[in-house]
Amino acid sequence: MDRLYQLLQNRIEGVVSTPDQFHPAQLTNFGNLHHWTPRFVVEPASAQDVAAVVAFAREHGLTVSVRGSAHSQSRLAISNGGILLSMPSMRRISPPDASGGTVDVEGGVVWRDLVRALAPQHLVPPVLTNNLSVTVGGTLAIGGLGLTSFKYGTQGDNVQELDVVTGTGEKITCDRKRSSDLFWGSLAGLGQAGIITRARLNLRRAKPMTRTYYLLYDELHGFLEDAKRAMESGVWDHLESWASPCPQGTKPVAGRRQVFARWFYPFHLTVEFDPEDPPDDAELLGGLRPFDHLYTDDVPTIDFLERMTPVFDLWKQGGTWKHVHAWVETILPWERAADCIESVLPDLPPSILVGGHVLLWPAKGKSSRSRFFMRPPGETLMGFGVLPAIPPRFWEQARPMLDNLGRLTEVMGGKRYLSGYIDWDQDRWREHFGDQWEPYCALKRKYDPDSLLNPGFVPFPSARPAGVPAAG
Amino acid sequence: MPLGFGTPEWATALESAINASSEYRNAAASWGVGFNGSILLAFERGGALEQGLYLLLKLQGGRCLGAEFVPGPSRPDAGFTLRAPYTLWREILSGTTLAASAILTGKMRVEGNTIALLKHAGAHRSLIHCVASLDTRFPGT
Repeated sequence: MDRLYQLLQNRIEGVVSTPDQFHPAQLTNFGNLHHWTPRFVVEPASAQDVAAVVAFAREHGLTVSVRGSAHSQSRLAISNGGILLSMPSMRRISPPDASGGTVDVEGGVVWRDLVRALAPQHLVPPVLTNNLSVTVGGTLAIGGLGLTSFKYGTQGDNVQELDVVTGTGEKITCDRKRSSDLFWGSLAGLGQAGIITRARLNLRRAKPMTRTYYLLYDELHGFLEDAKRAMESGVWDHLESWASPCPQGTKPVAGRRQVFARWFYPFHLTVEFDPEDPPDDAELLGGLRPFDHLYTDDVPTIDFLERMTPVFDLWKQGGTWKHVHAWVETILPWERAADCIESVLPDLPPSILVGGHVLLWPAKGKSSRSRFFMRPPGETLMGFGVLPAIPPRFWEQARPMLDNLGRLTEVMGGKRYLSGYIDWDQDRWREHFGDQWEPYCALKRKYDPDSLLNPGFVPFPSARPAGVPAAG
Repeated sequence: MPLGFGTPEWATALESAINASSEYRNAAASWGVGFNGSILLAFERGGALEQGLYLLLKLQGGRCLGAEFVPGPSRPDAGFTLRAPYTLWREILSGTTLAASAILTGKMRVEGNTIALLKHAGAHRSLIHCVASLDTRFPGT
């Protein structure tokens, strides 16, 4: 038995497990790219447990990595010989406040559970990710994007208050005024300053039904024009789009024949409505110029929010959920979006998208205030995500293409979304954060002076330069 | 019979190979249309190459209108220059390094509008494939 096991277990109410008890899934994350074995997995019962674990780690020279639903794909949510905090054990949801404007939840709450808990009151968080199986603490630490982000920004932009356990083991309540550096540093901060144990989230009142118009575009520029028009019209509640391949046979690529596709652009525009006051289709769709209008779907709002669940279930049944996921998601400046997308899609083998897809999400730059959620300058932006599921034996073959795709989107002025496939040296991290790199490093030095938290992802310069005492 | 790299015969053979490639014709259909698509490939000295070599390719609409080795190191009539040490070019032509990787990592230097170049990545990949496919006697081999 590990000599530290009992000491750690004695310090907390939650459960400590050792490698002989680990589930194989705890050794990797959704990316299935990195496989690390922690020394302990801890399922904390409370924020006090989290603070005790961090204090214990400091005393014994261990690191602490935080795992929600582990939908990250790089060196996050896994631990190499340290303590892995498995946060879904902290899943308490408080009742919404009297006005229905906010709700307090623990960091390990899964968004689906929150959506279902709020549904009877027709309340929803302003922004929800496509995958509702991820945790509040996890997506807030990355940013959290969804179909309403063009209106409301990231999930992090819709937080009122946080409880954060820092790398010194201190539990701090922070908001836009109190310890605001920690507040903003915890939102899209990749868990480098602290561990989110509680969040007070904004809520909005949703109408009970949704109507979604399934439009199809056969040409990128026409789609982009209508996407911009839809964002600016102010009438849509949710916008969702993809690039969808229609295979056309094979063509030579550097002399080797590979399947190629003609790409189409489905664009789903959704409004919420009360059953007694259905939307006026002609008025809503006026001015849009799709290639085709394929379908109009009325579903209860709760079902709309869970619309991706059957898709993910299919991927799980098909086995692709366990493939390598090396997603390259980038927020592009609007003026470069067409160039970038058109340079990538012609040679993207449609087969790489079995169990995945190519996402396009129209976005507004000023909808986000998060300091560390990096996006290109400009009011209108376009998200572009190539989300493949790659059989592990083909990973090394696919890797150069995805490396180049990531670099290409960055050269085009894009900023990467950081839950995906990221394997950067310090220069590229510095480039990503730009003028926020130094504040980000300073935040790390202040709140995690011993570099305990979530090591292995961001290659910080020495977290505590020689001669500089630890903060606090 | 391999042709010697850097000779007029090799350049002429490359022009023919490009124009015979349906892959290039399709991938580069819009390259050089409305802008100067001529590319100078600058093979900088190093390894077995004792002096730099500069290959000017006049490219437009999926066709090669001319290929010749020219005095370097720059050409005002080239819309783009791709500049790299010969050793890196050899890696690219042998398939051990992707040209796109070399460009995106900065190992190959681009002079000209990088965005325009990247937008036509497929055209340049098929161009490199044409170069790599020529039966060539390289320096030092």
